[in-house]
Amino acid sequence: MVVVVVVVFLFRRGLGSSKPVTAMGFRNLGLLGSFAKEGLEKAFSLGKFFCFLHVTDTYLVTFVVTSGPSMLPTIDLIPTMFFGERISTRFGKVTCGDIVIIRSPQNPRKLLAKRLVGMEDDTVTYISNPDEPDKQETIVVPKGHVWIQGDNAYKSNDSRNFGAVPYGLIQHRLFWRVWPIKGFGPFWKH
Amino acid sequence: MKLVSYMSQWRGIAKEAMDRTAIAVKFLCCLHITDTYFCSPTHVYGPSMLPTLNMVGDIVLVEHVSQRLGKVRHGDLVVIRSPLDPKRCLTKRIMGMEGDTVTYFDPMLGDATRVAVVPKGHVWIQGDNIFASHDSRHFGPVPYGLIQGKVFFRVWPLDCLGVPGQ
Repeated sequence: MVVVVVVVFLFRRGLGSSKPVTAMGFRNLGLLGSFAKEGLEKAFSLGKFFCFLHVTDTYLVTFVVTSGPSMLPTIDLIPTMFFGERISTRFGKVTCGDIVIIRSPQNPRKLLAKRLVGMEDDTVTYISNPDEPDKQETIVVPKGHVWIQGDNAYKSNDSRNFGAVPYGLIQHRLFWRVWPIKGFGPFWKH
Repeated sequence: MKLVSYMSQWRGIAKEAMDRTAIAVKFLCCLHITDTYFCSPTHVYGPSMLPTLNMVGDIVLVEHVSQRLGKVRHGDLVVIRSPLDPKRCLTKRIMGMEGDTVTYFDPMLGDATRVAVVPKGHVWIQGDNIFASHDSRHFGPVPYGLIQGKVFFRVWPLDCLGVPGQ
């Protein structure tokens, strides 16, 4: 009986000594597995965060950076940051005088920041060449389209060049200036 | 005393409600991302794309990757936002890219064929059924930026499962 116990004891000790080798292998695999699991979890939560950010961007509010001279003196030449919202564009509540971000009809990868001067069925009178202020042209904005113009008539490529633009190309409406700090504040029509 | 126990009960319920709402919100966000950037189903109906698409209505899968990469080509079936009504989307075929000269025929205006040049940044869209389609022959070329996606697969009706023809 004692012999059996001793044999069993030694057997178990023997097994116990060979365990560390395989256990280390298993432990490494386990470590790798847990790293991978943690990495995957972090990637998922990052993905979820980006999804949430994107939905906010698409449907609510987003940051917009503008640059260029075509909206002087309202918007400066230097890169300026704004808040742009998509709620009024989706519900058709944009009106004359709003400054909007609109996809360019000439280059679908470019976005323009211009002022809405005419909605559909409006009659727009504009000066096509600011060097000749007497030559005015009148046009009726077709259904489903808008007429956009930059505030700086000399340096703006807008509806005076490429005509009325479909409403569906409007992306955001600018409503708050964020940067530079001295211009921070509401950006209603003025 | 009772108030405290009530409050702890409510806290538990509120926490569970918040958790469930968070899961639902995350799911909807992921669904929205897939819809906007990868693939979404659309119900299309109307006679303007006969015989390719049925009149009573088909469910097709639209992918949103090609138009972002600029890979939309002549002959593609696309879903495009209407230039006349920004709340409506049309399903038409692209018959001309920018710079192309398009020769078209409008049966409503007689037998003459007309020619148009598609300006930069625009596409010319036409329905397959030229007798019952309101398209670029009437409202002119449409800016590329209005393209929402490309139709690549039809899932309903089941006996028309597959890539829409031509």
